[in-house]
Amino acid sequence: MASILSIYYGRTGTFIFRNCDFIRMFTLNYHGFRVSLPSRFVSIFGTSRTSNWTKAVSEAEKLVGYPTSFMSLRCLLSDELSNVAIHIRKLLGTRHPLLKTARGFLDNGKHSLQTRGLVVLLISKAAGPSPNPSGICKEQDMISGIYPNQRSLAEIIEMIHMASLIHKGVVNLEDIQPGDGSRKDMEFGNKLSVLSGDFLLASSCTALAKLNNTKVVEIISKAIGNLMEAEFTALKDKSGNPLLPRNVTCSDWIEQTYLSSGCLLAEGCRAAMELANHSESVKDAAFTFGKNMALAQQMADDIGPFLDHNQGLANISITSAPIIRHVESHQKDIDDRLFNNSEGIEPKQVLKMVKSGSAIQECTELCREYGQRAIHSLDLFSDSDAKTALINIITAVTNEQQLGAR
Amino acid sequence: MAAVGRIKSKLHTRLFQIYKTSEGLQINVALKARLHNQRKILVRLCGFLKYNDQVHNCISINLALRCCRCVSGGSVQETQVSVHQQVNPYKLVETELANLYVEIKQEVITSKHELREIAEYYFDGKGKGFRPMLVMLASKALNFHKTEEEKLLNSQRRVAMIAEMIHTASLIHDDVIDESYIRRGKSSVNNIWKERKAILAGNYLLSVASMALSRIGNKDVVKVLSQTLEDLVRGEFMQLGSKEDENERFKHYFTKTFKKTASLMANSCKALVDDILDFTSCDNVMGKPTAADLSLGLATAPVLFASQEFPELHSMIMRRFRQEGDVERARELVAKSDGVSHTRLMAEQHCKEAVRLLQTLKSSESRRAMECIAYLVLNRQN
Repeated sequence: MASILSIYYGRTGTFIFRNCDFIRMFTLNYHGFRVSLPSRFVSIFGTSRTSNWTKAVSEAEKLVGYPTSFMSLRCLLSDELSNVAIHIRKLLGTRHPLLKTARGFLDNGKHSLQTRGLVVLLISKAAGPSPNPSGICKEQDMISGIYPNQRSLAEIIEMIHMASLIHKGVVNLEDIQPGDGSRKDMEFGNKLSVLSGDFLLASSCTALAKLNNTKVVEIISKAIGNLMEAEFTALKDKSGNPLLPRNVTCSDWIEQTYLSSGCLLAEGCRAAMELANHSESVKDAAFTFGKNMALAQQMADDIGPFLDHNQGLANISITSAPIIRHVESHQKDIDDRLFNNSEGIEPKQVLKMVKSGSAIQECTELCREYGQRAIHSLDLFSDSDAKTALINIITAVTNEQQLGAR
Repeated sequence: MAAVGRIKSKLHTRLFQIYKTSEGLQINVALKARLHNQRKILVRLCGFLKYNDQVHNCISINLALRCCRCVSGGSVQETQVSVHQQVNPYKLVETELANLYVEIKQEVITSKHELREIAEYYFDGKGKGFRPMLVMLASKALNFHKTEEEKLLNSQRRVAMIAEMIHTASLIHDDVIDESYIRRGKSSVNNIWKERKAILAGNYLLSVASMALSRIGNKDVVKVLSQTLEDLVRGEFMQLGSKEDENERFKHYFTKTFKKTASLMANSCKALVDDILDFTSCDNVMGKPTAADLSLGLATAPVLFASQEFPELHSMIMRRFRQEGDVERARELVAKSDGVSHTRLMAEQHCKEAVRLLQTLKSSESRRAMECIAYLVLNRQN
């Protein structure tokens, strides 16, 4: 536990600071030794690039009455995972992906600070009390307008996300590079990854079962299956790295995005509605919201490095939307080196190629469209502060790239 | 009396009498030997019966059970043993098992070609299907107990299928953790598709099982099987740390075995939790420690028993047999000790208890088959 937390640093605003204090206090009591915050904490804190996003998220947190970064705290504090955390130290100095993932649980880049859970809570609140309260959901059980089992669901969604991140970090032992670490260390890293991922998945399964709703179990299981399918698409090579096939189209990108992030958010939103016995149209609306939000987010992430050079060209993924869009519309004029594993091609060349066409503008347009669709799907919900918070989050996502464009 | 026979060994010639009973055979035999030798005699006895076509493929374990009672002293004892007419458990659920793999393949409906290939890899019909078989038999025996009809309900067949899928998914993950490259006589998934995809495909299989489970629509079944999953994982986790205290370690071991194997079965057929749990635990508990177990740092029951006799094993367990020569030395010590026979004894007790519990059900073919399995499991390592 302590070692996971000691590499914790935040970048999304004041609430993080509050959490840190809590965690520091907690780990001190828990293991009896002190955890120091790295100095990076302060500098990143000061230079948050995406202030709109930060604001939207921290406003939303107040509404659901729960700091989102606490979402996974319960399982992080389990005996099993604290045990793993102690073992993770042995990996320090290696390049096993588990290290990076562990770091990421507490700070996962600009968009992913456990917002899946937050969105599930917000949409639960926005949808309001059950129109058809059965024995399971009683209105007096609601806290901040959210049923307890919807809160569990939000935690489950976060756990599943974590588990899939960890498992995606399992390394093929034959691919170990000299600088990665010894084979033995990498084996050990794999072992830890498999075990802790399995633990999270198993915990989420028992938690799911406790929701007493087999329909929800089915929906979420399907999402887990989709998450795994995401690693077997044409856009992934055998080690899970992005791969650009020659005949790539935008629908490949959409499928990839849906499988790797959309399904969990969309099905999570749908399941939250299911738990409160909302009507089919409300469930569908929630699903559409989640799906389009994920697409908009991914699109914004993909466009980012093309607009803001500070992010570094190395951040450009070969399967990011603008490249795929460009390749799709310029099939014949594409440098062959871009395909297969894109060896021998400079990021600068890629950037130049994409900028020569209209792919970036088209993608920006698409991003806005996904955002609009997400917002539009909320029309079914009556106005509320939760609904506004969801809209603000979407707007923060879609506006972000325009910021960079200026 | 049906027959009189004799078994010759180096020193003695033993007479025995065989009676036919309603459930099979009963054999009276005088035994005076060390435990170890008794077993040999019994094996010969089985051979004799087989030869004389008295019992097809004789599984005469009751025999073994009784004999082990007269361990010390070594006085001559008239031992009564009953040999059950064997019911081939697989035969009873043959058609259901054959369909099982077809059904599993119908569940795996991903459009991702490679993923489907991995997910279906072990469902080639060559697996033993031990778990689903057990679930099916237990269901049949219970159904018979309740309705006098040995028919499998659709939902029970689904549970059997799900148990096999969960089991397979956990095998795939285990092989990555243990770095095993052979499974069921062929290359393991991680050998062919490498570690990363093996893990992800294992998860996929699990999600398919979970979906099928939820479609049964029974909340309790979902709960029980997800608890199983958690137990399985917690069992794996225990490999991470060896506990200091030796008694602790013992307890630890049992929890581990329970969690790893028994739970899956136990929970699959709730009403029979105890017995099935017991005799499947036997499965894991028994057996001499293989070099593979030791080099993985695992302390199996015989090692733990032996460590009570030879304290130097403690430190080896603590360092997980990592030092050079540890594995060899440990095997040597275990062989010297009573570890294996102790373990056997314990396993036999479990087995007996299982059979006793089965007696509470109305007698049916499925019930008898389950009794056979209990014995089979016990004798597997002979």
